[in-house]
Amino acid sequence: MSSIFVNSKDVFLDIVNAKDYVQLDRVSSIYQSLKDSIKKPLKMILLYGKPGTGKSMFLNKIHTDLSPTQSIYLYKTPILDESEFYKVLAQDIFATRYNGELNFTQFMKIVEKKEFKETPVVLLDEAQLYSEVLMEKIRLLSDTRTVKFVITLHKTEKEDIIAKEHFQTRIWETIELENASSSELKIYIQKKLMKANCFDSANMFTNKSVNRIHNITNGNYRDTNKLLYTLFDLYALYEKSSRLSNIRTDHVPNKLIEMAAIHTGLINA
Amino acid sequence: MLNLHELEQRWIRYKIKSYLPYIAIILSISIILLSIFIFLQESTATVNKNTILEKLTIPEVKAIVSVTPKKPLVKKKTVVPATSNKELTKISKRERSLHNSTNKLTLSPSLGFMKKMQTDQQPYYKTENSNESNDIQVEVPVVTVTHKDIQNLQHQELKVVKKITITHKNTHNDIAEIISRFKKNNNPALSLFVAKKYYELGDYRQAYNYALITNQINRDIDVSWIIFTKSLVKLGKKEKAMKILKQYINQSHSNQAQILLDEIISGKFK
Repeated sequence: MSSIFVNSKDVFLDIVNAKDYVQLDRVSSIYQSLKDSIKKPLKMILLYGKPGTGKSMFLNKIHTDLSPTQSIYLYKTPILDESEFYKVLAQDIFATRYNGELNFTQFMKIVEKKEFKETPVVLLDEAQLYSEVLMEKIRLLSDTRTVKFVITLHKTEKEDIIAKEHFQTRIWETIELENASSSELKIYIQKKLMKANCFDSANMFTNKSVNRIHNITNGNYRDTNKLLYTLFDLYALYEKSSRLSNIRTDHVPNKLIEMAAIHTGLINA
Repeated sequence: MLNLHELEQRWIRYKIKSYLPYIAIILSISIILLSIFIFLQESTATVNKNTILEKLTIPEVKAIVSVTPKKPLVKKKTVVPATSNKELTKISKRERSLHNSTNKLTLSPSLGFMKKMQTDQQPYYKTENSNESNDIQVEVPVVTVTHKDIQNLQHQELKVVKKITITHKNTHNDIAEIISRFKKNNNPALSLFVAKKYYELGDYRQAYNYALITNQINRDIDVSWIIFTKSLVKLGKKEKAMKILKQYINQSHSNQAQILLDEIISGKFK
């Protein structure tokens, strides 16, 4: 029989699943605006933010929600080979199987032949990994208005992606995702646990413990998941070694949060 | 795999490390506060000392001025002719030594220079009259006698008395030179030297004055305070001297001052 700690630990496994999407006020409004933007006649939509702010989850969620009613294609991992990229798009969107090398000119011919009642939406995750040349081709493709692109990018300090030439002139909608605030993080954690019926674990997160978690993770969802996974792993270990009486279970003590942070490398000890 | 024991150890190290800056800040603040406290205490002590010194010295200067006899200390030299049949040439007579000088020869310095000093308000700022220093060369003396002695001299056939010439020129020239140097640089070591010299010469009033000047310049010279209070005792102000010594001992914890005080109290030092 698995303990509540083991169950709680599994809640925070780092996997992107639309079912695990947690509705938060701010996130919901952003999600709604993204949905609205897709309906608009835009060429490109840029979704950007620091790693772990939920961009991939957003794309997954939107793909899950819109796929029953709309032609929408999600590419979670970048297709770095140019020919492969065109071939995948030709097959998925235009139902054209192509053997051998497919260059941009040939692909554009396929695109021009096909007409859609509703513009298909292509969701490209981790678009910062695409080459400059391929990004330029994607821009040209979006100019035909045959395909609409929603791309996600990491916002890095070194390069301001918004300033990139091919985004400056063509992107009509940019949406930035940010880290959670302390109160949002509390809701996120508790909602996630309650979804998995871990009510006792959810009640262990007081404002004080969530503030400590927020201090360590800066509200980053990925880091929070990582930290809480280790935290419940620690609880499970204490339970297994019959030392649970040594630690508090009515609320999460800072000691355990910090131990989890040390183990995950969020605290440099 | 998680290792609870190792993780707990790392957590303890992390906690210690995280408290270190606070400990360092608290220690720094404590040291700063302690330094400020010590500095303030020292300043307060200095202020108190200054106040005591002001109380002690200022009225004393006036007192001394008032004590200063109207007649100059250096009295006229009276040449007492020896009896005709004897070759007694000159006898210098000093009023202050009359009471105790029967057959005793008392050597006393030429105090012409000091006469000048006494008349000046601030003797150490005035220049020395070179003629005075020439006058210091005293030819004499020689003998200090009472009136009775003088009479006796005529009756008893006093033999002799060779003509003794004692030259104080060097000592007084030294003092004059040191005073002039002192006027230039106001060095307490020089004024202390002058005080000592005057004390040695028995001019306690000038010794007192220069010791006082030295104390005003530097309040921490033991010797100066000792000359100062010794001079006071010699000037007949024993109580005052004891009071000053006690206050000085309270401030400085000077052993020398304590010894002197004990000697004054016991009557060893008169």
